[in-house]
Amino acid sequence: MRLGVAGPVGTGKSTLIATLCRELADELSMAVVTNDIYTDEDARLLRAAGVLPVERIHAVETGACPHTAIRDDVTPNLLAVEDLEAEFAPLDLVVVESGGDNLTATFSPALADAQIFCLDVAGGGDVARKGGPGIERADLLVVNKTDLAPHVGVDAEQMVADATSSRGGLPVLALSQSDDVSIKALAGWVQQVLADYRAGHHVPRDPGPMAPHSHADGTTHTHEGDGHGHEHG
Amino acid sequence: MSTGLGTLLLADARLPVGGHTYSAGLEPALLDGLPPHRVPEYIAARTRTVGLVEAAAAVLAHRAVGGVTASAVDGTEGVGVDTGALADAHEALLARSPSAPLRDISGLLGRGLVRLADRLWPEHPAVKALRTLGRAPQRPIALGAVAAVMGADEAEVARVSLYDDAQTVASAALKLAPVDPVDAAGWVLGAEG
Repeated sequence: MRLGVAGPVGTGKSTLIATLCRELADELSMAVVTNDIYTDEDARLLRAAGVLPVERIHAVETGACPHTAIRDDVTPNLLAVEDLEAEFAPLDLVVVESGGDNLTATFSPALADAQIFCLDVAGGGDVARKGGPGIERADLLVVNKTDLAPHVGVDAEQMVADATSSRGGLPVLALSQSDDVSIKALAGWVQQVLADYRAGHHVPRDPGPMAPHSHADGTTHTHEGDGHGHEHG
Repeated sequence: MSTGLGTLLLADARLPVGGHTYSAGLEPALLDGLPPHRVPEYIAARTRTVGLVEAAAAVLAHRAVGGVTASAVDGTEGVGVDTGALADAHEALLARSPSAPLRDISGLLGRGLVRLADRLWPEHPAVKALRTLGRAPQRPIALGAVAAVMGADEAEVARVSLYDDAQTVASAALKLAPVDPVDAAGWVLGAEG
């Protein structure tokens, strides 16, 4: 199964993936593909974390805003996933980390069988109310770094409640590295989706497109909702 | 009878074959001190050297799989597919690409085209011939074979190959240097001269 992890810059996607590897790599054969615009920073972080053999972590440098490579033209990521699947067959789980983008970038179902959208309390308590395809319709929404909430003046419970009310029953997980129960819940969610996927019950779900707009280089692509301030590489 | 759509698609950055990751060597050139105002000269130099070799390789690949007669459109697909000639063109191009990183990136871009062809025309003899080169044929070889399947003629293949190289540099320049996009478009047009 291919699991995408998307969300804005700095919300803890790489750390979340390192956590998943730490929790699951003993029982599952795993590999990771990271996406950055210019560097392989995220891949290096994960390699340095020592949670997975370094050869199981591949970096894709998108050279463009991250949603290009997870949504508009997923070719470089698919090639990276195929390489890992060929080299380490059989793999149970390939995690694809999007580069940090805005609130609207989600994975194409052609690339990710399931996807996590990651927010954090430090990004502001109002973010969960702003909506967008990832917040509203990703398979799992993570509200990360809840331990920081008192320090940044955010009511984490309210943020989770806001998010829950916008998701029509889809799950929301409040995550903190210092809360082992939340980490186990994250790992348990992945195990459940993987079991559903294997049983044929899990259908890749498209969180939905972004609102159309054009770029000066002639490409047209889409964003939806707020949080448009991403970097166009 | 070709509609010309294939040629347009192959020259279009929206074709999902991974081209957005590539700067045709401009990024390292700028890092090495190339001033942005000399990018047009860089384009011209590539057109005469790398561009020419790659366009020639694409045309040879196009001929090897039967050229326009390989077209799925006219009902004579597979006529004249010469797998050996395709492999020879690939070997000849590899021999002219002494840089391992450049061979690697060309192979990745070639895989993007192979992936497209595998999905759209899995049984086409030209696509099967392409697959005999392994999973990462150099991009110009894949381009020539895919263009043949799409019904482009060999002059169009050469033009697409050269245009794509110039446009890759020009659009990468917009990301890497303070350049007015209109100037970059002018560079591509200027490369025609």
